[in-house]
Formats: sequence, structure tokens, C-alpha cells
Amino acid sequence: MKQRQSSIASVAAIAAATIIFSLLMIALSGSGLTAALKGFARGAFGSSYSIAEVLVKAVPLTLCALSVACGFYSGFTNIGAEGQFYIGAVATTCIGMYLPFLPGPLLILLSLILGFAAGGIWAAVPGWLKARFGISEVINTLMFNYIAIGIVGILLQTVLKDPKAFFPVSSYMPEGMWLPRIIPGTRLHAGLVIALLSAAFIYIFIWRTWPGFRIRAVGSNSRACRCAGIGVGSSIMLSSLLSGGFAGIAGSVEIMGLQHRLLDGMSPGYGYLAIVASLLGGSNPFGIIAASIGIAAIQVGAQGMQRSAGVPTAISNIILGGVVLLILLRPMIMKAIGGKAHD
Amino acid sequence: MFLLSFPGDLMEAVLTMRHISKSFFGVPADDDIDFDVRKGEIHALLGENGAGKTTLMNILYGIYEADGGEILWKGGRAEFRSPRDAIERGIGMVHQHFTLVGRLTVSENITLGLKSRGYPFTDRAYLDKKLEEISARYGLPIEPGKRISELSVGEQQRVEIMKLLYREAELLILDEPTAVLTPGETEEFFRVLRRLRSDGRSVIIITHRIPEVMEIADRVTVLRDGRKVCTEEIGNVTEEKLSSYMIGRQLRHIERQAAAAGGIGFSIRGLSMEEGGIPLISDLSLDIAEGEILGIAGVDGNGQKPLAEAIVGIRQYGSGTMSLRSASLDGMSVEERKRLGIGYISDDRHHDGLIMDMSLEENMLLRSDRSGFIRKGFIDFQKLRKETERTVERFAIKTHSVDMPVRLLSGGNQQKLILGREIYSGVHLVIAFQPTRGLDIGASESVRELLLSYRSQGCSVLLISADLEEIFSISDRIAVMHGGRIMGTVSNDGHADMTEIGLMMAGKEMNA
Ligand SMILES: Nc1ncnc2c1ncn2[C@@H]1O[C@H](COP(=O)(O)OP(=O)(O)OP(=O)(O)O)[C@@H](O)[C@H]1O
Ligand SMILES: [Mg+2]
Repeated sequence: MKQRQSSIASVAAIAAATIIFSLLMIALSGSGLTAALKGFARGAFGSSYSIAEVLVKAVPLTLCALSVACGFYSGFTNIGAEGQFYIGAVATTCIGMYLPFLPGPLLILLSLILGFAAGGIWAAVPGWLKARFGISEVINTLMFNYIAIGIVGILLQTVLKDPKAFFPVSSYMPEGMWLPRIIPGTRLHAGLVIALLSAAFIYIFIWRTWPGFRIRAVGSNSRACRCAGIGVGSSIMLSSLLSGGFAGIAGSVEIMGLQHRLLDGMSPGYGYLAIVASLLGGSNPFGIIAASIGIAAIQVGAQGMQRSAGVPTAISNIILGGVVLLILLRPMIMKAIGGKAHD
Repeated sequence: MFLLSFPGDLMEAVLTMRHISKSFFGVPADDDIDFDVRKGEIHALLGENGAGKTTLMNILYGIYEADGGEILWKGGRAEFRSPRDAIERGIGMVHQHFTLVGRLTVSENITLGLKSRGYPFTDRAYLDKKLEEISARYGLPIEPGKRISELSVGEQQRVEIMKLLYREAELLILDEPTAVLTPGETEEFFRVLRRLRSDGRSVIIITHRIPEVMEIADRVTVLRDGRKVCTEEIGNVTEEKLSSYMIGRQLRHIERQAAAAGGIGFSIRGLSMEEGGIPLISDLSLDIAEGEILGIAGVDGNGQKPLAEAIVGIRQYGSGTMSLRSASLDGMSVEERKRLGIGYISDDRHHDGLIMDMSLEENMLLRSDRSGFIRKGFIDFQKLRKETERTVERFAIKTHSVDMPVRLLSGGNQQKLILGREIYSGVHLVIAFQPTRGLDIGASESVRELLLSYRSQGCSVLLISADLEEIFSISDRIAVMHGGRIMGTVSNDGHADMTEIGLMMAGKEMNA
């Protein structure tokens, strides 16, 4: 009982600290507090358009955060969702450019499957290196980001470049492949449905199926799994494949739903922000949806704040950094509030 | 009540716990317990698995907060908010499962978390000298520079105690310290305890072994189902009395019927293993018939663990062959071997046997034959729950629910869960490595009976134990291991020569 109380209290303490910290930051930036807050609220929730904008950002973020969580379950720390996102996007672009004659729904389905496969394989390489040789995936997945972004850059200067464009961008995907808009007059697209379905799928897979159990078991005590005859390496591989796969789908969805073509710097760091979202969401698929929407709201709101009160948008990143720090410190905060640990 | 005290009670109590109660999820683990310890006393705490011993000590040590009651320490009211608090006031605890850091050295472990001379550039040479002083004074030989991972459990135990002495603990709480020790090590360990006592320190020792209580303790307190049964001077009790206080009945005596051993069940030929050029097992051969229990006696660390792990397939072996019911096991993975019907009870339940953060149910899924629990890739939670509940009932596992993380079970109940998972109909070979470690006498007795009943169904059992009494009570034959080899095998027909076995354990070869 007492544990629950101090747990709730610690969350409240973190929330309070975050709000005070945010207000302080805004005040420090020298803008009027009320104007800034009004700008924030209007930016994030002021109209159906702004709410849709929040969700538009939340879609790739959710998918990338699900990716991070899929790795986390088996103890595979995936810092590489950013790179896997781009690889998935590249796969989708290739399909759109080389198979434009196929019917739209088939193109979409194919893009999702190949986006998943491409991102999955991109992550499974560090996964294999970890499973087979015990090489740290943290460094590898990070390095793979640079490689992936480099590859995108090269492709956009060469084979994938739209010859008519001045900038390094690909040509537009065939319109049949664009995901339908789900609120007219806004940019919100059917990728939202894909993200929600993905969360439900992961929830069922991880908590209801045998391979999902193996992934969790390996993440919790790999030595016991070895003694029980549960393949540790294969579970890590599977988890890394899933992990990369959902980041790949994020890239694919972002192309089909929003950008409609591949461009350099397409992700404002979704792959990294996803680590925060996954942490905030407690690695629970539904928690991750909530956390992603929250983070997207902060970012979109910060843009509103900049427009109406001149507060720099960088403030949203500073706030998120502070929140992560507080969450990591939560056990200490809990102890300080609740006294003794209750195991 | 105070006026009627016996003279004994007038002796100075350095610690008094009064009316201590603690419930988890509404179920009392400790219920209104009075407990006291005198200066220079060894006080034994006795009780079945889940009786509430560890919980009571965790309350004293500041890990849990009691729901009610008070603690008096050296005459004043005390409330320890954390282990650090307790240590500062002179109370130290060695947990049921050690908390040493394997990668660090002995000396680093002992001084971990302390600001020692020269901090942060700790003066190791000075510390090591100080440690050697303490070690000489109490007869605790240790090598400060060695890594924990290189030490045997007995040696690790010494390090844990050194850690407390280094922090100048006046009251040492030892939770099942002898469970992991060989008889020789236990003797050694008791000598240390006596030296601590004559030094004016007090010791609380938790154990399941009644003869040990009779040997070392001055007084004993018995708990049953979270309630205190009694506190007695050792002079006023007998072993029988203590065991009936503890379990509320007399122990049955296990009858081992002569075996009607069948055909060859399991056999090993010429097994050799090495690690980093050091031989672990050399040219070892053994046979276990169907329906036979082969006991492996020997001092811990003479190749028992590599042997067990080679059989289960966790470790690769360089040369040799194994077969179970004339099917060759060589080259098979752990999963394939266990599928053939091998049950494995490891000696290290926390690392090898259980996933501590998962529930009882989920740990049940680690059983090799999971065909009943999985349908088309999905976990059949209904069946899983049924089987888990059946196991909980059959082994009398004390738990609030099968959804609870295994971490929250008492040590003995964790062991029972492993037994229930690994020994089930369909196993042909059971590797039982210290199967009763940490179990109370009643539970140990039922484990031995269980092994015997599987034997009579034709199962082959390899029983590896440092507890000679256990080996003798249920084995049909006894092999003695030393330095990775089997020194000799004797039949356990009541005429086994103890001196001979003792000599073999020390490394003398016999051709029996
Ligand atoms: N943190 C906890 N949460 C829930 N239940 C707990 C917790 N800690 C202990 N218990 C329960 O309290 C009871 C007493 O446990 P305790 O560990 O004190 O037993 P014990 O006497 O030390 O047994 P053993 O000899 O097996 O170690 C057990 O039924 C256990 O499951
Ligand atoms: Mg205990």
C-alpha cells in the first residue's frame, strides 16, 4: 500500500518539478509567461488542425518508440531506430519508383512489408553480432545510424534523385500509394491506424505468445534461459529484427503518409526521441502511445510558443532532457519520499 | 510479568524486539513477535520455509518497515531506516543469498561503499594490512587481492563476515550461512562464531539444521507460520523437541527399499573437460541404472558443477560420450537433451534456475516439456495456471498467488518451485544438485521421498550433494569425486566404510 503511495507521489513530484522547471526556462528566455503559455496551448490544442499536427508527429514517434521497446524486452538496447527509419523509408521509395504500375493498395502493403524487412535486417546485423560474439549493440546500432544516413545522402545524389529537382530529393511517389487523410483539411493520415495496430500487435506478441515470452525471459535472466534450453541468441535476434522492423515501418509510413517522397533530414531525430518516449511509456505499448502524444504535443506547442511569444523551440528539448533525468532519478526520489524501500 | 522474570531474562539483552508484526498483501509474515538477544550470545532462529525468519531480520536491519512493534538496541529505542543506518549503529547482516560483486577483489568488496583512508585514491596496501589483522584475529583466512568470482562459496562466506567485522558490527545476523558449506567448512565456521562470542559480540544465526543449533547456539527461538512458538535455553531442549516445535509433528524416518534396478538408464564414458588449459574433469565414466540413485559425494568445487552442466548440455565437453536409455546425447543442445527427459536442479537457483522478476506461472514455462502450455505459438494461460497451482499445492509452496514475482517468495519456497518444475512425469534422468539446500527439514524430507518415488518408477537420479547424510539416506550407490575424477564407487548397503569415503574425498584412490 505504502509503496503505491510513494510511487504516485514520486510521479507527482516529477510532474511538479517539470512544470516548475519549464516555467523557469520560459521566464529565463525573457518572454512573457502568459503569452508563452497561451501560445503553447493554442499551438498544441487550439484547433482541430493543431491537434492533428500533434498526432502527425506522434505517429512516427510511436512506431519508433515501439521499436526501442521491442529491443528493450530482450535487453537489446537499440539506439539505431533513426537509421532503421531511414532504411525503411529508402525501401518504400524504391518500391514507389520502380513499381509505380502496381495498384495502390498493393503498393502500400508491399511498402509496409519491405519497410519492415529492410529496417529489421538493418537492426538484426548488430543483433547477430551481439548474439554470436557478444559485441555491444549500443555502439553498433549508433554507428549504423551514420551509415544509414550516409547511404540516404548518396542515393539522393544518384539513383534516387529527382532529375527535375535542384535539391537532393526523390521524385514524388505515385498517388495511389499515398495513405488516405483521415481528417479532411489536416495532414493527419492513416498512419495513425497503423501505429495503433502495431502497438496492439506488439502487446499481444510479447505478452501472449511463446516467442514473446522467450524474448522477455532472455531480457530478464539470460543465464537461466540457457540452463532451461531457451535459445538466447535466437531470441535476441528475433527481438532486434522486430525492433528494426517497426522503425522501418515508421520510415515507410512517413513517406507514404506525409512526405510522399524521400528527402534528406526527413526525421527531426524521431529515432532518438523514441528512446525518451519508450522510457516515459514504461516500455508498455499503450504507455508508449500516450508518451509519444505527450512529447509531440510539447514539440508542437513549443512551435506555437515561438510564433506568439518568441520563445526558442529548443526549450522543448531542454525540458525533455530534464524529464528523462528525473525519471532515471525516480528510485532515489521515491526513497526520499517514502522512506524505506519495499523490496 | 516483569516481576516474574526468570534469572536468565535478567541478563543484559543488547537487542529487544517487541510485538513485531508485518503483513504482505494482508497476509501476516510475522505476527506479534517478541525476540531478544544478549551480549555475547549466539541465538539461533529456527523455523520452516516461509515461517518469517528472513522477514523478521529484514525488519531489524532496516530493509522492511514493521507494521507494528518496537525495537530496543543497547537500551534505547531504535528505528533503522536503512541497512546503512543499522550498520552505522553496529548491526550487520549476511543475506541468504550473497551480495558480493564477482568482478571485484576481496578487499574491494569489503570496503565497498566506505570512504577509506586516502579516498578517492584508496590506500589498498593499508587496507589489506588491516584486513589481514582482522583475519588473523578471528581465524578467517582470506586473500585480499583475489577476485570474488575465483572463490568457493565457503570462501565468499568468509568475505561476507569479514565485511561485517571490518565495519565493526557488534551484532551479526547470518541468514542460513551453513546451507552452502561442507561439513568441514561448517566446523571451521563455528570456530569463528565462538571466537566472536568470546569477543563479546552477539550473533543471530538462521538455520534449518537442528543438530547445528544444538552444537553452536546458546538459546533458540522457534517461529512457525509467522508466530513465535518459544525461546529456550539450549540446555532445556532436545533435537526431537525442537523439530516438533518447528513443524508441529514428528519427522518420519525415510525407508529406502532395496532397488530393483533395471537396464542401463544413463551412462558416461571417458568424459574430459578443461577450461583455459586447466582440467576440470578427466576421463570420467559412470553408469546409472533405470530406477537407481547414484550419489556423488565430494567437497564442493571438485568438478561437480562442470559435470552437471555437461550432462545438461550447458557446457561443451572436449571428449567423451553420454547416452540416456541408449540414445546418444553427444552434440545435442540443452533443449534437445531436456526434451529427452532430463530434469535439472541447479545449485544456484537465483542465476540458473529462476527468473526472479517473473511470476511463478511464467517460471513454470521454463520446464523443458512445455507442449501442454503452448497452443499454436500462444501461451495457454488457463492450463499454465492450473499446472502451477497444482505444483504449489503438491509442494506446499507458500505464496499469495501464482502471479507474484518469484523474488518475493522465501528462499526455500523458491527451491520448491524449481523442484516442481523439473521433476514431473516424463523425466528419465534427474540431475539433483544440492536439491535440499535451504529447505526446512519437513520439505527436505519430502524432496527425498519424491526422488525415491521417481526412482521406483524407473527414473535414474544423479544426486550431487555436499551433505553426506543426505547422500547416505537415499543413494543406492555412492561415487566420490575429487579433482574432477571419480576416486571410487561404493554400494550403499549399510556396510559402507566411512573412513574409506573420507579418504577418497581427500583424494585417495580406491579400487572398489
Ligand atoms: N516483499 C514481500 N512481498 C510479499 N510477500 C513476502 C515478501 N517478503 C516475504 N514474503 C512472504 O512472507 C513469508 C515469510 O517469508 P520469509 O522470507 O521471512 O521466510 P523464511 O522464514 O526466511 O523462509 P526460508 O527458510 O524459506 O528462507 C513468505 O510466505 C513470503 O512469501
Ligand atoms: Mg529466509
